[in-house]
Amino acid sequence: MASAVGSGLSRAEAFSLLRSLLRTAAKFSDYNIREYVRRRTIDGFRENRGLTDPSAIASAFSEGRSQLEIAKRQAVVYSIYAPQVKNIMELNAS
Amino acid sequence: MAGRHVAARLARSCRFRLAALRPLSSASAAVAAESALPLAETTAGEDRDGGVTMKGVRISGRPLYLDMQATTPVDPRVLDAMMPFFLSRYGNPHSRTHLYGWESDQAVEVARAQVAALINANPKEVFFTSGATESNNVSVKGLMHFYRNKKRHVVTTQTEHKCVLDSCRHLQQEGFDITYLPVQKDGLIDLQRLADSIRPDTGLVSVMAVNNEIGVVQPMEDIGRICKKKGVFFHTDAAQALGKIPIDVDRMNISLMSLSGHKIYGPKGVGALYLRRRPRVRVEPQMNGGGQERGIRSGTVPTPLVVGMGAACELAKKEMEYDGNRIEALQDRLLNGIREKLDGVVINGSMEHRYAGNLNISFAYVEGESLLMGLKEVAVSSGSACTSASLEPSYVLRALGVEEDMAHTSIRFGIGRFTTEAEIDRAVELTVKQVEKLRDMSPLYEMVKEGIDIRSIQWTQH
Repeated sequence: MASAVGSGLSRAEAFSLLRSLLRTAAKFSDYNIREYVRRRTIDGFRENRGLTDPSAIASAFSEGRSQLEIAKRQAVVYSIYAPQVKNIMELNAS
Repeated sequence: MAGRHVAARLARSCRFRLAALRPLSSASAAVAAESALPLAETTAGEDRDGGVTMKGVRISGRPLYLDMQATTPVDPRVLDAMMPFFLSRYGNPHSRTHLYGWESDQAVEVARAQVAALINANPKEVFFTSGATESNNVSVKGLMHFYRNKKRHVVTTQTEHKCVLDSCRHLQQEGFDITYLPVQKDGLIDLQRLADSIRPDTGLVSVMAVNNEIGVVQPMEDIGRICKKKGVFFHTDAAQALGKIPIDVDRMNISLMSLSGHKIYGPKGVGALYLRRRPRVRVEPQMNGGGQERGIRSGTVPTPLVVGMGAACELAKKEMEYDGNRIEALQDRLLNGIREKLDGVVINGSMEHRYAGNLNISFAYVEGESLLMGLKEVAVSSGSACTSASLEPSYVLRALGVEEDMAHTSIRFGIGRFTTEAEIDRAVELTVKQVEKLRDMSPLYEMVKEGIDIRSIQWTQH
């Protein structure tokens, strides 16, 4: 779920997108998917931090927004069908 | 800060209370398990205290998944692409008379292009099937049946997937000649030997790209070059390679290729067959009927699955580098973690020519079945899922010349897109604990530590 941080489009907008993606990531009931969405979001923003070309920034932004839409929908789907038994990684972590 | 302190203290006091309660609660759970009907044991029962009981094994949570060669979880982005075609866009892609058919057909063609882009092929060269097994069957049997008058010989390797080997055996019964090339100790084939085994009546060379059990990557370009020079069709089973290593059908001179959806975070039940157009490769179809997929594979194309496979391929293309780097780092972490604490650990197959997401390790002086049973919190396998039910050691490992006792103790760790560092650390911890426990019980390991060579022991026969 790659996205971008650029100086062309406002920094605030980028951070708002990042925050929304991370907030949605936390909603996934599945341990592996939740960790992946969070990790991929952060790495995606890190990868695109140095973007300067306005069109590249714009496309990274729209990519990030569409990923956010997917994540929002799928977080709901995953929560509907979440197994009652948790992943072993979540049990001993607490 | 203050809040965190309070929380920590609360958690600590809770733990004490829980510890005091535990003997009681587990005793009552045991009583409940005993009084339960035997039927409940064979089905998945979710226990009162949050655990799960299945096939008589009780686990406190869902095991961490390290069996990515058997299958992979569906990526949420793939599922998102598929769902509309399970709901309102249910048209048959072969319906030519209404919108439902047109939109499904369009989606199938987009998916075809997505698959083709990942392997640098023309979309017209991609045919959807039910999976890599079907593609392998069509490739091996279908091709030889089509050219049966002139071509009577197939070259393959001993470490191929069962479905290729079984198709070859089927051909053998029909009177075809098959050469099963042996592999070297590292799992790679000897190119000179391959070139020497090709005869004028050889119709097909079938060598898999990435081995499903040991993860060894064969030198595809070199094999392709030999086949081109000798004018023989080159088929490769790339189910384990797609989306993991770069595949280019032109550079590798591949004539036919089998692909699978569920190994690349796509749905199960869908795969693809690549058939080269120039020079044209022809096969006799296995399914006859409505002539879908240009007569190569009749039967309605399953739109949702095909869309999922296309989405998975597009994702794989985008994420191959990111996933690859991560998986490599995780493999190092796993291997170093195990090697730091255990001796007598042997990697099966070449380390240089290997896909990092597949680590097949043997633990000396440990009984494999006990090890797998002890590792019930880690979902791993001893090898191929198709043969994991039998107690026989893997034929792939035997082909490598791995000794019987070491072949029995192999574990395949499969790392994928969704594997976390914490999971690897836990897997290392549990594996080390289990191996040490089993070795402590093993008289063989004691003897080895005393300096006795096990192979020199004369076992008395009964």
